[in-house]
Amino acid sequence: MLAQPFPLSDYAAILPLTIVATTPLMILLLDLILPKGAPRRDAAVAVGIAGLLLAAYVLVRQYLAHQFAPAFGFGFILGGFSIAFSLIVVAAAIFSLLMVLPQRDDEKVGPSCALMLWSAAGAMLMAGAGDLMTIFLGLEILSLALYCLCGMVLRASPVRLREARESALKYLILSSMASGFMLYGMALLFGATGSVNLAALQAIPAGNPVFAMGCGLFMIGVAFKLGLVPFHVWMPDVFEGAPLPVTAFMSVVTKAGMLAVFARFLYGVLGTDHQALIVPVWIVAGLSMLVGNLAALSQIDMKRLLAYSGIAQLGYIVAALAGTSTLGMRYALFYLGAYTFMNLGAFAVVALISRDQEEDSHLSAFSGLGTRHPLLAAAMAFFLLSLAGLPPTAGFIGKILILASTVAAGYQWLAWLLIAGTAISVYVYIKIVRAMYVPVDLAHIREIRPLSYAPWIAVAVCAVATIALGIYPAALHDVLPRIR
Amino acid sequence: MGIEGQYPLLFLIWLAPFAGAIVIWALGPKLKSWSGPIGCAAIGVSFVATLASWADAVRSGPAGATTVVGAHQTMVTWIKGFALGLLWDPLTLVWTLIITGVGFLIHFYSMGYMHGDRGYPRFFAYMNFFVFAMLTLVLADNFVVLLVGWGLVGLASFFLIGFWFERPSAVAAATKAFVMNVVGDVGILFAIFILVAVVGSVSFADAFAGVQAHAYNGQLLFIACAALFVGCAAKSAQVPLHSWLPDAMEGPTPVSALIHAATMVTAGVYLIARCWPMWQGSADARELVGVIGGLTALLGAILGIGQWDIKRILAYSTMSQIGYMIMGVGVGAYDGGVLHFFTHAFFKAQLFLTAGIVIHALHNEQDVRRMGGLRAREPFAFWSMLVATLSICGFPPLAGFFSKDAVVYETLVKGHPVLYAIGVLTAGITAYYMFRMVFITFFGTYRGEIDPSSLGIRHPELAGTSAGLLKHPHDEAAPHEEHAPAWLMTAPVAVLFVGTIFAGFLDLGGTNSFWYGLLQPVFGATIAPVEGAAPFSELASSALVFIVVLAGIGLAYLRYGSTAALRDSVARLRNESIRMFPLLTNAFYFDAAIDALFVRPSRAFGTFFGVVVDPLVIDGAVREARVSALWLGHLFRSFQTGLVRAYALTIVFGAAAFIVYYAVVGAH
Repeated sequence: MLAQPFPLSDYAAILPLTIVATTPLMILLLDLILPKGAPRRDAAVAVGIAGLLLAAYVLVRQYLAHQFAPAFGFGFILGGFSIAFSLIVVAAAIFSLLMVLPQRDDEKVGPSCALMLWSAAGAMLMAGAGDLMTIFLGLEILSLALYCLCGMVLRASPVRLREARESALKYLILSSMASGFMLYGMALLFGATGSVNLAALQAIPAGNPVFAMGCGLFMIGVAFKLGLVPFHVWMPDVFEGAPLPVTAFMSVVTKAGMLAVFARFLYGVLGTDHQALIVPVWIVAGLSMLVGNLAALSQIDMKRLLAYSGIAQLGYIVAALAGTSTLGMRYALFYLGAYTFMNLGAFAVVALISRDQEEDSHLSAFSGLGTRHPLLAAAMAFFLLSLAGLPPTAGFIGKILILASTVAAGYQWLAWLLIAGTAISVYVYIKIVRAMYVPVDLAHIREIRPLSYAPWIAVAVCAVATIALGIYPAALHDVLPRIR
Repeated sequence: MGIEGQYPLLFLIWLAPFAGAIVIWALGPKLKSWSGPIGCAAIGVSFVATLASWADAVRSGPAGATTVVGAHQTMVTWIKGFALGLLWDPLTLVWTLIITGVGFLIHFYSMGYMHGDRGYPRFFAYMNFFVFAMLTLVLADNFVVLLVGWGLVGLASFFLIGFWFERPSAVAAATKAFVMNVVGDVGILFAIFILVAVVGSVSFADAFAGVQAHAYNGQLLFIACAALFVGCAAKSAQVPLHSWLPDAMEGPTPVSALIHAATMVTAGVYLIARCWPMWQGSADARELVGVIGGLTALLGAILGIGQWDIKRILAYSTMSQIGYMIMGVGVGAYDGGVLHFFTHAFFKAQLFLTAGIVIHALHNEQDVRRMGGLRAREPFAFWSMLVATLSICGFPPLAGFFSKDAVVYETLVKGHPVLYAIGVLTAGITAYYMFRMVFITFFGTYRGEIDPSSLGIRHPELAGTSAGLLKHPHDEAAPHEEHAPAWLMTAPVAVLFVGTIFAGFLDLGGTNSFWYGLLQPVFGATIAPVEGAAPFSELASSALVFIVVLAGIGLAYLRYGSTAALRDSVARLRNESIRMFPLLTNAFYFDAAIDALFVRPSRAFGTFFGVVVDPLVIDGAVREARVSALWLGHLFRSFQTGLVRAYALTIVFGAAAFIVYYAVVGAH
């Protein structure tokens, strides 16, 4: 007879996750009950955000109460680390949900919201994953929902729909391939140690060829999901093809989830003893800073541009971990938080300037924005300055911190690549700022009519956070947890 | 530094002007003429709070810790290890007294001077904002907030120089001042980098403790001091970054009095006095600052001889007097340098405000050649100008006598005979050009009705403000009968008389003086008098300076004030205008040199980027990308599956590289 296998506290540990995973059921139920039209759409988004806020509340309570403990036999590790990543995922999901509203397709808003929440639940599982099984479980929950989301374009022309489906299919194929590599890596790791538990993997001595190869294949999966060069090739196409809220969601949530896994593997398993086993990741991170920014130079579509800039930004974050120092972890988390605000803020602006009720992310949509919508343009300017790493924004402080950590860890070459990448990126972002403020003949510009003003909330929150963290970084930096 | 605690009054001092600025800014159009009194009230509150906090500033710490003086309040921890706070010690007190006290008087004066101007509320918003920025600078307990204040005063100065933005010359002057000041900001930023690298902190206390602990090697400390001094030189108009100051006279006269004479331009003096432990640690840095200060004092005085615009004469005299202060704090005479700042604030504010009264009475005439004989017409202005001029010349027992002689004599005590000679010589030249102005302006007969060309004024329209052809905008808006009551402008000047005459007495009595007692806890033994270091006594030195000053005044009298000179003043002025050395009229060609060395090359660089790199390389890339994207788009549409295969191939290549690496690493 099976007694209750796990104590009740284990279930309490995954309470936020459970909330995020069950809220979609309510959304789908309401979708059936409520009449078509505005109530149904608004209810889906409102319930989704309410669920996420509740989860965030529980997360904060857990953090303040120091309820840090492994649950389910080290399958899920509740701690400052998992809570920080989960909060970032939850925040990103809330901002993305706000961007769903401007689309007007009653059939798809509810399911979109539900899938997004499930995907977020997968990322939260990854954030707390303590063994290889949970990692893979979280990764697949995250990805499966995203494959569907990429194809679900709301209110689309046939051409747009075909693009979206194409992007979904590409994502499915390439991501499956990466999952294959990763799974094989996990199998080798299991073979080398006889355990799937990360804590048990830690005990393996250096110089085990099976373990090394397992690590290598595992890292390929990591690099693919983080979109590091040369495993980034899927990102621009998928980001451009997917609906805007989904692109925004992916740009943060997949990255946060995988970054949590990578950091836990790096700090928990490899530690400082196995530095040789991670060198390729630093190299691809350095490559990403250069290639991502160089490729972004010639982009004319905002989503595609942000995809390339995201490749570079993830390069920066990974570089912060070089040297496996405690401070590096904090700085990476700080930058990830800053990236969440500045990147999603930029996406929210794109969501707001869509013209004629059609999603429009072409760069020309930004020309003259400074005259038409001074506030929106000012917010966008701050997001772009932050992405470029200029003061007085969060991105500036984040980059300084990362530079400090890479140099202190002895990875000067990464620091130089970061500086070079930043120099290139300034041109990428400032060009958009210039386009917004160069005087244009307004008669030639179609008026923008956003369908909903909900993304304004995201823009406002992100703008305040981006500037506040730039002026007073201690606000976030002091609460960042140390990890074991 | 300072006794840690809660000092809510400091926040009141600091933020009252800010609140005033915000209120006037936001409600300006509604407040109209009320914005003046509100602006004054904000500064007044700040001044009263300053007086009320006096005791905190001079309170010394617990027994045994005699070097701890004043108050210190922590505000926030910016980043871990970088706490920001407010500092309140005698040095800050001196500056705050001037900023809020003289600031209040100048605000009051402005109610009369700016009366009827279209930008009246805007003016007071800017002025309040300036006071807030300047207080930020002097209240900071660390280099970061100091730099913020440093930048903000530059911004406020930019706004106020360009206050009459309808005039192209005002906009150009504002831009020039701002650019030169940013050069200085970069210098300070660089110094902050060095400090963070060496002591890992930006607070004054840690930076100076680092000097005492020999954390710097001598070279590095010198570089840090020199970088700081770049900022000082730009802000305090020291050679070669001085040329923005005369141009800054494009702003309204109260602005010149407050910002470009009494307070902002002395920020460099403050910074050096504040960072005195760094300067004490580096003899080279003291040498550098002393020499630059002496050069500036001399150069400013020489250039003052060749000016015809009353405000430009005063601007060059400001530059020269700040040269004295910088020379003083540079050689290590911190108390003397700070005292000269203190007295200078009174008499220079009085000079400017009096000049403002004259300019106002003559309907914006600023060229002294078109003045003359104003003694009978404006007796108050005459006596005010005369007393303030005597004070700036160092005529005993007026305020300027004590402070200037203290600085000049200290250079000798600290072992700089050449600087001493420069100081004495400059005092003579100062007396000459100041009395030249007084004689031309107030003696003889009024020349305002004479044809400008017969006075040697060429191209009056090109000289900007010189012939009064460009009226203040408020002249068009409001006719003259709407002038504000005269006491609004004379009352503040009357109050300034007190400081101009008596401020120097604070220094009377050597080590028993009030001034020494106030500053000794800050500077410690460095300002203690040294016996026998100089070949002759301070009294002998004062006598020497006095003789030189009398000679300067006598020369000015012979050339401009004697009955013979006054009889044919028109012809003499005309002659002088025409025969003026080109070196003087072109201000030693500093602007031309800066233009040739920096402005033109950087403009060419910018043009290169704007005309060549941007359109051809970057935009070209975009255009190419668009073409290729269109082309690729067609290609991709026909080979969709092929594309995924290509992507997969890329990933496999990457994976193969990974696998090879891990196989090799694993084998070892």
